[in-house]
Amino acid sequence: MSQTEIILKAEGIHKSFGSVEVLKGISLEARKHDVISILGSSGSGKSTFLRCLNFLETPTSGKVTVHGNEILVRNGKPQNVRHIEEIRARLGMVFQQFNLWTHRTVLENVMEGPVQVKRQPKAEARDKAEALLKRVGLEERMGMYPSQLSGGQQQRVAIARALAMEPDAILFDEPTSALDPELVGEVLKVMQDLAAEGRTMIVVTHEMGFAREVSSEVVFLHEGRIAEQGPPEEMFTNPRTEVFERFIAKVM
Amino acid sequence: MFELFSYGDTGWGDEILRGLAITVQLAIVTLPVGLLLGFLAAFASMSRLGPLRFLGFGYTTIMRGLPEILTLFVVYNGVGLLLNMALRWWNPERGATDFSPFAAGVIALGMVFGAFAGEVLRGAFQSLDKGQTEAGRAIGMTQGQIFRRIQLPQLWRFALPGLGNLWINMLKDTALVSVIALDDLMRMTKVAVGVTKQPFTFYLLACLIYWVMCVLSELVLYWMERRANRGIRRAV
Amino acid sequence: MNPIEIIAQYWPRLLDGTLMTIKLTFLGALIAALVSPGFALIRTHAAPLAQAPLRLYISFMRGTPILAQLFLIFYGSGQFRPILQDWGLWTFFRDPFNCALLAFALNSTAYQTEILRGGIMGVPQGEIEAAKAIGMTRFKTLRRVVFPHAYRIAWPALGNEVILLMKASALASVVTVFDIMGRTRQIFSRTFDFSIYLWAALIYLCITAIFVLIWRQAERRLSRHIEAHHKPRVAAQPAKEPQA
Repeated sequence: MSQTEIILKAEGIHKSFGSVEVLKGISLEARKHDVISILGSSGSGKSTFLRCLNFLETPTSGKVTVHGNEILVRNGKPQNVRHIEEIRARLGMVFQQFNLWTHRTVLENVMEGPVQVKRQPKAEARDKAEALLKRVGLEERMGMYPSQLSGGQQQRVAIARALAMEPDAILFDEPTSALDPELVGEVLKVMQDLAAEGRTMIVVTHEMGFAREVSSEVVFLHEGRIAEQGPPEEMFTNPRTEVFERFIAKVM
Repeated sequence: MFELFSYGDTGWGDEILRGLAITVQLAIVTLPVGLLLGFLAAFASMSRLGPLRFLGFGYTTIMRGLPEILTLFVVYNGVGLLLNMALRWWNPERGATDFSPFAAGVIALGMVFGAFAGEVLRGAFQSLDKGQTEAGRAIGMTQGQIFRRIQLPQLWRFALPGLGNLWINMLKDTALVSVIALDDLMRMTKVAVGVTKQPFTFYLLACLIYWVMCVLSELVLYWMERRANRGIRRAV
Repeated sequence: MNPIEIIAQYWPRLLDGTLMTIKLTFLGALIAALVSPGFALIRTHAAPLAQAPLRLYISFMRGTPILAQLFLIFYGSGQFRPILQDWGLWTFFRDPFNCALLAFALNSTAYQTEILRGGIMGVPQGEIEAAKAIGMTRFKTLRRVVFPHAYRIAWPALGNEVILLMKASALASVVTVFDIMGRTRQIFSRTFDFSIYLWAALIYLCITAIFVLIWRQAERRLSRHIEAHHKPRVAAQPAKEPQA
């Protein structure tokens, strides 16, 4: 494999809630164009890990580096707090519950970040937002409010909102788990297109089809540790650990 | 009988309208004072500083437990006393000055409004969707941007019904200032009663005027709530 | 005089006033509590036209100052003195305590009716259907299912209403009833000592605090069966992986 640029690097991430240690030292590297699926049963810590990457949760200890912005955490205290907003602006995030701003229209949701955080001129942000909404197939709904959309449409808006920040990588936190089964497809389709385009993505998911067909690497978390990691085809056809074998037997 | 309410020398229409004007002025001046106190109380009671939190909770709890008329008397007599003490210290020759009943009304009603509004606003802050705040953080917005762009516009929606109720209560509480001799609607009614000896007629009229003001307020609030809820589909 | 001397000298009057405040509040709330369930049922079950007078009454009571309502009854009754005398009602209306009690009871009835209506509407339809399904009569359903549940829902709001009524009872002092507020104003007009107001404030706060404690205790009794099902969740406890 050629040595492409490293976008995101997490080293030795630990996280405890009170006396419960949820993450027990996880390291992960995402190179440009990587699509990494993080799998694991509920409670394995996969969402927590993802949220540690952009400091929505502060790790108890560990190090996160994004585009030269390095944040070292010791005893729950990040050493370089100023980098946090920089890192967040570089990492897009798509949430399980969409988290669209309900008081703003679809178009305004997508424009908010570029205008408010990146200080782009409104006209430019609007053009870009319109183009992105068209890409996710929602150009007809730009003036609507989130509550007027279906879950799948809301999640596509949320993806457009993440893309509008022109992120180096996008984090997906179970993007289809809150959707009715018949709406999952439209969101996965958009994600698949993004992957084909060469976007760097880290996806926490329960969609085995996506993990297997679309991602370039699969990480399986078990009880706060990486239990198994590798190219999807190899892992799914030939699981090396018993826990992962049991996991696929259960979900597939 | 209707000439009683006519405008001019023969009727009481103009006096009562003057009283109504004072009542409305009082309510309108009190509103921003009360809102400001409410925001301060809400921020104080959500503060990370212990003493500030204590102050916020203390103010809202005590104020809400006292009869409004007691608060009014405490402010009117207490602040009046302090004012006179200060004035006498400044100029011993000076006789006693009366503290303006209008100012006392604004301060007392504002303090009551603020205490209740503090609770309403705190509740509204806590019912904001945490996920939307998180989405703001995820794209790198600062705390200030999140407050102004995401929380404040939605806060309004959660706080409006509560604040609307407080406005109506305050509008009715303005009647209390008649007791400290401010010539509001209630007191002008009393004056009319004293002359005409028709207490039921005139107090009923006063009630009807308050009633109309409250119903109008409710209509305006209903319209404002609908506007504030644009974009939010109500669960059926 | 310092605050201690004031209270040392005038405590019997304040105590007297305190008892009057409690009496006014308790009786007013009680009368309203007796009338409001019937009214609430009319609000939830009667035809819109039959409800109209009740709605008008409630809207009037909620849309006008209690002080104005009190004046309307106490002073306003004077306008009909001959008629009231004919009917033998004048002795009732001549007494400020009676008028204050009537005003507070009428006012609180309006509020309690609306609170209770909310409670009745909050009773899950399924529970009512279940009662019908086992053959309960309408009356029995109301008594055994609807009202117990409605009161549980409405309980905190009813408590608030009693506190509001207690605060409103201070208005009775304006028509010369000697409750806490009346006694306080009387003492102030003799001594011009401001600290008496602070004592009054303290008494009101104590009454509120004691009432809140009693009310919460009662609420706990009312909802004992619910608490057992709602153990607080332990946050962020990772679930054990299910056994395969």
